[in-house]
Amino acid sequence: MLVMKNINKIFQTADIQTHALRDFCLQVNEGDFVSVTGPSGSGKTTFLNIAGLLETFTNGEYLLDGEEIGQLNDDGRSRMRNQKIGFIFQGFNLIPDLNLYDNVDVPLRYRGFNVKERKRRIEESLERVGLASRMKHLPSQLSGGQQQRVAIARALATSPRFLLADEPTGNLDSEMAQGVMTLLEEINQQGTTIIMVTHDAKLAQRAKRTIQVKDGRVSELEKVTPMMNQAIA
Amino acid sequence: MFNYYLRLAWISILRHWGLSLLMVCAIGLGIGAAMTTITVNYLMSANPIPEKSEQLYYVQLDSWDVNDPFDDGLNPPDQLTFTDSTNLMRANKAFRQNVQAQAFGVIEPANPEMLPLIVNGRANSADFFTMFNVPFIYGSGWSRTSDDSKEFVVVLSKETNEKLFGGEDSVGKSIKLEGNMFRVVGVIDNWQPKPRFYDITTGAFNDTEDIFVPFHLIVDEKISRSGNTNCWKPTGDGFQAFLASECIWTQFWVQLKTEQDKADYLQFLSAYVQEQKQFGRFQRPLDNRLSNVMQWLESQEVVADDAQMMMAMSFMFLLVCLLNTVGLLLAKFLGKAPEIGLRQALGASKRTLFSQYIIEAACIGILGGILGLILAYLGLQGIEILYGDSMKDLASLDSKMATLAVLLALFSTILAGLYPTWRACNIQPAQQLKSQ
Repeated sequence: MLVMKNINKIFQTADIQTHALRDFCLQVNEGDFVSVTGPSGSGKTTFLNIAGLLETFTNGEYLLDGEEIGQLNDDGRSRMRNQKIGFIFQGFNLIPDLNLYDNVDVPLRYRGFNVKERKRRIEESLERVGLASRMKHLPSQLSGGQQQRVAIARALATSPRFLLADEPTGNLDSEMAQGVMTLLEEINQQGTTIIMVTHDAKLAQRAKRTIQVKDGRVSELEKVTPMMNQAIA
Repeated sequence: MFNYYLRLAWISILRHWGLSLLMVCAIGLGIGAAMTTITVNYLMSANPIPEKSEQLYYVQLDSWDVNDPFDDGLNPPDQLTFTDSTNLMRANKAFRQNVQAQAFGVIEPANPEMLPLIVNGRANSADFFTMFNVPFIYGSGWSRTSDDSKEFVVVLSKETNEKLFGGEDSVGKSIKLEGNMFRVVGVIDNWQPKPRFYDITTGAFNDTEDIFVPFHLIVDEKISRSGNTNCWKPTGDGFQAFLASECIWTQFWVQLKTEQDKADYLQFLSAYVQEQKQFGRFQRPLDNRLSNVMQWLESQEVVADDAQMMMAMSFMFLLVCLLNTVGLLLAKFLGKAPEIGLRQALGASKRTLFSQYIIEAACIGILGGILGLILAYLGLQGIEILYGDSMKDLASLDSKMATLAVLLALFSTILAGLYPTWRACNIQPAQQLKSQ
């Protein structure tokens, strides 16, 4: 479970103070598929970065799987990211020098799995996204949709409890976007909690829950039933 | 993880080969220059006889002009008069003692088809060989009895034995030197102490001699004397007058086993000088010195000032190269900011990233060290060409120096890599991931 209570994030420069998040409160339960929408500059990405422990918050309380994040040092935060969170980014963020196998291997190395276990997980996760046959290819040899699938495979390889996706279809055409979205839904059905930031209202509607962030606050909370989801699909 | 980091470093070096090559060249140049001068200084300042350098003492007595001190009064004369050397030998107060001077002669080979050989020689006492741990392939040095009975004996260098006897065991055979027959008692194996500590007055880095003969042969004018001679007053006519003069041209070494032996010998020297004062000699204040091997080399400034200056300058050059490497590493690592941000997102802690990138810096350092070794080798060859035979034995890299070169490169590059790596590890992942 992810719980944020009165989270504030203030970006401070020499002259300007910017409140990216103001008393931000949110609870995401296990198995949720939450889409986060909102206008540009509303604080969506800041929320996602804080949720993913990529950024610290100014004050407030953040509990991830019962652990108080504010108390953790860099090692603790890194461990949490590695063990509990998977990331999917708009720009795929694959390492261009490494082939698909080695890209998926990165978080498993930090997890400390042995060779056999890493190999099993890499093959399984690439199989799951339909790219097992291309594991020796470099990212540059794949299409955008395929690259995003590799990023999803990498995120899934560590069996994370939470999958955080920042505009995962933002760089894809609609056909590829549909494919990625379907894959995310499958992953969610298998028990992984997903939080997805998107500008695309149609994609947002396919999530189980949709929240809107405006001026750094959760301004709207809308529940979508599975039936409605089906209808939209 | 170490192997994983090594693999990542290798991939990164190959991927950014241009930048990596620049860094390897910068480090290589710095290490090459530093190692060239370090090697020369190291060989110049090495202990040539570490096993007993603390027991061997060079003797100095101040027999110089009362009105015009030797070396501006900083040091007593660097050699002894014949009178003093023979008196000290006769007194026989040390465990071992050796009087010596440089000599030269012409050998007439038994084979009439061979041309006469002009040889550099050393006239010395019997103890020379045991005092200085001279290695023999055949026979040995001569005995004190041979000195006392003024025998015509000779010890050959390996090279001379090759020329005269084809490398065979020549002990017991005879050679004709300066018209006299000498019996070969020993053949020395390869022996080239660096520096040639036992006589630095004729060049600390010259080759060892071709032949060694008893010192009395100079006195008896059976072999010609060479080397440096300094006089502060007229000598009179004839060789005997020269021998009795205040000219300095002999070197005197003693082996003293303990500090007590040294103290006793100094006391003996004081008594000797006091005694000589009664004959009108030694008018200057008492300044007797016993310097062990390293003290002697240091006092004679065997490591030249310009060599030390060159070394200091080469270290400054290394520093400049390292500063360049810092800039290049900074450019490389900050260019990898998106990857660093991603690795953080995937679970790498700052500590983990630090290890990864410092290992990459170390790999570049090792490659730079290898290049530096090659450049140092070329630099030493250049020095040998520039300075000729006098630097021949100093212009060589041994395994210790080679290891030092790589370690110096490794250490320097890790040092240079600290700041860029620290900067890289403090990259904010959120900014990098969004900006991709």
